[in-house]
Amino acid sequence: MSSSTLTAERSVALGEKGAASDATSVATFRLGGMDCAACAGVIAGAIRAIAGVDRVDVSAASRCATVRWQASRTSAGAIADAVAAAGYAAVPDTAAHARAMRRDESRAALWRLFVAAFCAMQIMMLAAPSYLAAAGELAPDLRQLLAIGSWMLTLPVLAFSARPFLEGARRSIASRRIGMDVPVALGIVVAFVASSGAVFDPGGPFGHEVYFDSVAMFVSFLLAGRWLELRMRHRAEEALENATDQIPRASLRLTQAGGIESVATDSLSPGDRVRVFAGDAFPADGTLIEGTTTTDESIVTGESRLLAKSPGDPLIAGSRNVDFPVVMRVEQVGADTRYEAICSLMRAVRTSKPKLLAQVDRWASPFVWFVLFAAACAGAVWSVVDPARALWVVVSVLIVTCPCALSLAAPSALLAAAGAMGRRGVLLRRIDAIEAMARVDTIYIDKTGTLTECRREQVSAVFAPGTGVDDRPALEALAASLAGWSTHPLSRAIAATYPPSSIAWQHVREVAGRWIEATDETQHRWRLGAPPDDDVPAASSAAARVCLSVDGEQVASFFFDEVLRPDAASAVAALQHEGVEVRILSGDDPERVAAIAALLGVDGVGAQSPDAKLAAVRSAQRDGRVVAMIGDGVNDGPVLAQADVSFAMGDGASLARGEADGVLTFNRFADVMVARTLARKALRIVRQNFAWAATYNAACIPLALTGHMPPWLAGAGMAASSLLVVTNSFRLSRGPRNAHTPPAADVPVPS
Amino acid sequence: MDILYLLIPLSIVAMLAIVGVFAWALDGGQFDDIEQQGAAIFDDDTSSLDRHQRP
Repeated sequence: MSSSTLTAERSVALGEKGAASDATSVATFRLGGMDCAACAGVIAGAIRAIAGVDRVDVSAASRCATVRWQASRTSAGAIADAVAAAGYAAVPDTAAHARAMRRDESRAALWRLFVAAFCAMQIMMLAAPSYLAAAGELAPDLRQLLAIGSWMLTLPVLAFSARPFLEGARRSIASRRIGMDVPVALGIVVAFVASSGAVFDPGGPFGHEVYFDSVAMFVSFLLAGRWLELRMRHRAEEALENATDQIPRASLRLTQAGGIESVATDSLSPGDRVRVFAGDAFPADGTLIEGTTTTDESIVTGESRLLAKSPGDPLIAGSRNVDFPVVMRVEQVGADTRYEAICSLMRAVRTSKPKLLAQVDRWASPFVWFVLFAAACAGAVWSVVDPARALWVVVSVLIVTCPCALSLAAPSALLAAAGAMGRRGVLLRRIDAIEAMARVDTIYIDKTGTLTECRREQVSAVFAPGTGVDDRPALEALAASLAGWSTHPLSRAIAATYPPSSIAWQHVREVAGRWIEATDETQHRWRLGAPPDDDVPAASSAAARVCLSVDGEQVASFFFDEVLRPDAASAVAALQHEGVEVRILSGDDPERVAAIAALLGVDGVGAQSPDAKLAAVRSAQRDGRVVAMIGDGVNDGPVLAQADVSFAMGDGASLARGEADGVLTFNRFADVMVARTLARKALRIVRQNFAWAATYNAACIPLALTGHMPPWLAGAGMAASSLLVVTNSFRLSRGPRNAHTPPAADVPVPS
Repeated sequence: MDILYLLIPLSIVAMLAIVGVFAWALDGGQFDDIEQQGAAIFDDDTSSLDRHQRP
């Protein structure tokens, strides 16, 4: 450990020079761009060169750097800059806890496996003479000594390595729900007790056969299977974690000057005022200071009712702002809100039980009872036919029927598929979605913001006399400032185009997808939204139009042009080639929708209210279709929830993300195709796994019952079967990694 | 062949000791990152050994 020795020496040297020994900070950074172990040295050198850094540990395997520095002499930002200057990337590690947990878990599993495998080999050596020696060749006392040696080496296997199985069995018996661990634990314990009896009481009821070698080998095979499964689960989780990193997470902080700045949620501090849009989650605990709204705290507290909030009411980090944009004052900053978000996503994926698994669980209990019954019957019959073999037939039956492969068949494949999707930018919230995704035959796509991106094209304005706003730039600034309160794609386009004016809006109200209105300092009521129905558009070529009105009088119109997302056309064509029906379901003007639909060669329905969209999805489902919905925007939430499987664009409103089963983090349509292909492959692999596991169990049980399978062979066969299933699932995680396609030229939409 | 009565118990004790040593090594994190120490030789930095050898 040359590097750590060196750093230790340096800090000692600094101490001698009398360097300030004030507060030190320790943080972990995740490193990007590391390709080999040698990069670790370069990065460590770059960080070490910063004055004020006490200690650096760079791990090439986990791609993390742990740095300790003096807070008064340097900062986390300076460290990240130094790493960037060396040609790599460093970001604060928010998922460090989850990673540490995984490391401990995998260390414990490896350790159990090693103890079992190492002892099994030694026991095998001690058992070899009894197998090889001819009758009478081995002195009885030597045989006894070897048996006692085997017994001693079996103790750590049973007491330490096999504990997960014994614990599992104990738990399932305590909760009176028979599980897969019961026959396994029973097999291990019966074999061990019988063999111990044979060693210490050779003339006793257990005969003189010892099975320590079988017990140890069985346990190590079983642990090897579990360890592989664990590795794969960790890989899937890592892939999900990396994918969540790509969802931007920033908050809008109000500055003293009245402006707005976008800052990382982590850098918020108590006392900050933060604007929170309708549909967004509150970034921190705090108090509502401007506006009234309702919040959904179900994620945090489990309270399913929406709660009305007015100024002065407390707000909880992570709960969702449902109705109107508001301003909150930050009071407590969650130590790691981002980490919590990742964790809840992990938990959701890991704990949500797919239907496939529920089916397995339904069968597991009768199956285990059948195994126990069969073993008991075999024991009874064999104790009459050949009492010497009765015991090992029972043990063989218990071991060979271990439905490990069966229980691994579905989860291993689904998790591997979820991980593979995560690596390609499709982040799943519900693992069940894979099943639905594979069967999808109809895809409904929202148009604005999903299929197309909006660009402002032109603005026409009349002045608003009497409001103090009397020229075009002032109107534009005012519109941008009001639009800044909304997450609608068109509002975002306006807010991004003009420099906003600093108006302290009051009584901000928004009807999602229709309009947003607020009162300015002089009590004029401004509204930004869809034009009135009887209004004749001034420029018919524009894709969309937003009107600004004051006290009911229209003063400006903003016209938008829209462009198709770069890969929409090719992705839609690919989906149609696969036999999937693609339809556009939009609340927009029917002519515009028809134009885009014609361009893509699909059906398109326009002027759909959220209720009409919901009805369309329902009626398709009644016809037996499996519907996928790809949406964006606040008013898509209910439709996304109704569809069999739904995706939201990564930059869509957060509410849509909340309802959607998955998020397309790179906003690429082609990822839908990738997800569908992977889901179909996953289901195919699940079917293969089920077929194999069922065949294996069906073939081996008769062999074990008739005494043709010794316990060690049963253990090896069972482990090999699990191994086959896991390796088969593993095929899903292979394949090309996510390739960032260069953005193609914008495709203008004809009108 | 009487020596077997000594050697077999000895070998068992030795095995248990090996398991204990491995436990210690694993717990100390020696298997967490196997490649990195090999690559440390390419490190430009002077190692602590070099520093002591310098006059």
